[in-house]
Amino acid sequence: MLNVDVNKLAELINKNISGANATVSIPEDTKKCDSSITVEVSKIYSVVEFLKTNKEMPFNSLQVISGVDWVEWMEVCYMMAHFDLQNPREFILKVKVTDRVNPSVDSIVKLYAAANFQEREVYDMFGIRFNNHPDHRRILCPDDWQGFPLRKDYVAQKDYNGMSVYPDGKMNFEDREFIVRQDMIKKAQESKAQ
Amino acid sequence: MQSRWDIGEPEKPTINKDTEQLKSELLTLNMGPQHPATHGVLRIEIWTDSEIVAHAIPHLGYLHRCMEKHAENLDYRGVIPFVDRLDYLAAMNMEWTYVAAVEKMLGTEVPRRGELIRIMTAELQRIASHLMAFGTYALDLGAFSPFLYAFEEREKILRLFEEVSGARLLYNYIWIGGVWNDWTDEQLARVSAFCDTMEEEAKKYNELVSMNKIFVQRTANVGVFTLQDCFDYGATGPVLRGSGMKWDLRKNAPYSLYSEFDFDVPVGEAELGQVGDCWNRYYVRMKEVIQSIKIIRQVLEKLEPGSVMGKVPKVIKLPKGEVYMRHECPRGELGIHLVSEGDSKQPYRLKVKSPCFTHTSMLPRIAPGQMIADFVASVGSIDIVLGEVDR
Repeated sequence: MLNVDVNKLAELINKNISGANATVSIPEDTKKCDSSITVEVSKIYSVVEFLKTNKEMPFNSLQVISGVDWVEWMEVCYMMAHFDLQNPREFILKVKVTDRVNPSVDSIVKLYAAANFQEREVYDMFGIRFNNHPDHRRILCPDDWQGFPLRKDYVAQKDYNGMSVYPDGKMNFEDREFIVRQDMIKKAQESKAQ
Repeated sequence: MQSRWDIGEPEKPTINKDTEQLKSELLTLNMGPQHPATHGVLRIEIWTDSEIVAHAIPHLGYLHRCMEKHAENLDYRGVIPFVDRLDYLAAMNMEWTYVAAVEKMLGTEVPRRGELIRIMTAELQRIASHLMAFGTYALDLGAFSPFLYAFEEREKILRLFEEVSGARLLYNYIWIGGVWNDWTDEQLARVSAFCDTMEEEAKKYNELVSMNKIFVQRTANVGVFTLQDCFDYGATGPVLRGSGMKWDLRKNAPYSLYSEFDFDVPVGEAELGQVGDCWNRYYVRMKEVIQSIKIIRQVLEKLEPGSVMGKVPKVIKLPKGEVYMRHECPRGELGIHLVSEGDSKQPYRLKVKSPCFTHTSMLPRIAPGQMIADFVASVGSIDIVLGEVDR
C-alpha cells in the first residue's frame, strides 16, 4: 500500500464537502495494517467526485470495490489509486451501511467506468443496492439465485431449479467448511428484528 | 524504430447505404460459453449488424466457485491452494500476493535466499504465462504452430516447477515465511541454460509471429484503448503499458527485493500500428519476457546458500485490521484485501481484485464498430483467464 497522508486528505474532504464527516481510522501498528477514511454514506458520490477532480490530491483510477459484512453494519470499501510516475497514491475509502434489509448506496459509475462491474459484484455478494446503476443485475451468481453468499448469515438454498445444491451422501458436512457461523446468524437476526 | 512494413491507415468498416435500408433489427449472437476464442467459459452476447458488432455484453460466472467464501472458513495456510486456482496459468504469482499480504500483517521476515527464489519463480512463471498468451493468441488468429513452439519452452519451466514443488500447474510452493523447498545447483544451472535458449527463441517468435504480415494486419490498429479508458476502467499490467503508460509496480512501488534489480519497463511504442492497439499489447508481453530473463540472470548471480524458510508461529493469528496488497502479475495487478477480526485462525474477509475481471469489463468499450473477427482479436489481446475472472 502506497503512502497517503490520510489525515490531510480527510481534512481536505471535510473542508470541501459539507456533511461528509470524514473520519480517519489508523491501526495500532501502521507497518502491519492499512489506514482508511470513512465518510457518510449519503455523500459518497460527491466525495468521489471531489477526489477525482480536485487539484491537490487527485485520484485518476478506481481499483476495486470490496464489501465487508460486520453483522452490525456492512462496509463498502473503495480502493482509490492514482497512476502517476512521480506521485503514485492509493488509499481505502469506506462507507458504512447499517440497514440489512434494504441497504443502498449511490452508484459512482458516472465517475469511474470501473465501478460498473465492481458494484454489480458487491450487489451479488452482499445485496447492497446501488442507486442509479445503469445495469443493476447479478454478475457471478445466476440471476435467480437466492440470498447473498458473502453475508455472514448466509445459508445456501436447498434446491435450485430442481437440482439439489448439497446432495445427500456426497458432502462431508463434518468438514469445517460447512459449519455455518451460528453466532453470526443469531446476531444478524437480532439486528434485523430491531 | 522504423516500421518494417508500412501498413497504413486501417480500413474503417462502413455500412453499405443500399443494404442499410434493408436491415430491420440487430442480430444477437452468442460467443461462448464454449467458443475457442474465449479461453475458457466466457459468454459474450454480441448484437451484430451483419459483420459489425453493435454491442457486446459479457456474461460471467460460469466458473464461479466463490473462493472468497471458502477462504473465510479455512485457516491462513489452507487458503494458499485456493488462491492457486484463481489464475491457474500464473499460480506462483497468485500465491505470492496472498502470502505477502499475510506476512505483512504477521510481520514475518523472509530469509534473503527465500525472497530471491520467490522472485525467480515468479519471473519464470511470468515467462510461462506470456508464452501461453503468445501461443493462444496466435491460435485465436488462425496460426497453429506458434502454440507448439510456445509449449516446448513452457514445458521446460513446468518440469522445473514439478521437481521443486511436486505439481505442474497448481503448486502450493510459496508458503507463509518463505518457500517450501530449496532449488539444487543442478536445477539452477538448468534455469541458466533455459535463459539462454529462451532469449534465442524469443527472437524466433518475433520473426515468426510478431512481425508476420498477416498477424500484423489482423492486430495493428485494432481494438484501441486510450490511456483515459485505461484509467477510467482501472486497467493495469500489459493493457495499461500497451497504452503507453510506463507503470510497473515492480519499478514504481517496489516490493520484495525488486529495487535491487536492474530492468526496464516495456511500453507500447507503436513500432507497428498505434499505441494501445492489440499488437502493442501483445508486443509488450514479448518484451517483458526478455526483461524477466534479465531479472532471473541477476537472481542467479545474487543467490547464496542459506535458509529458505523464516520463523513462523505454528498457529497463525493476525492482529485486528486490514491490508490491501497488490503485486504485478502477468495479467495485471492482483490485489488482495485481507481483513482480520483479530484473535482468529481464519480470515474474516478475503477479497481478490482480479485484473482479468477489470479487463473483461472493458470489452463493451471497444466492441462497437468492430468486425466480429477483430473482436476475437481484441478478446485475445487482453489475455483473460476465466478462473481469475469468476473466482
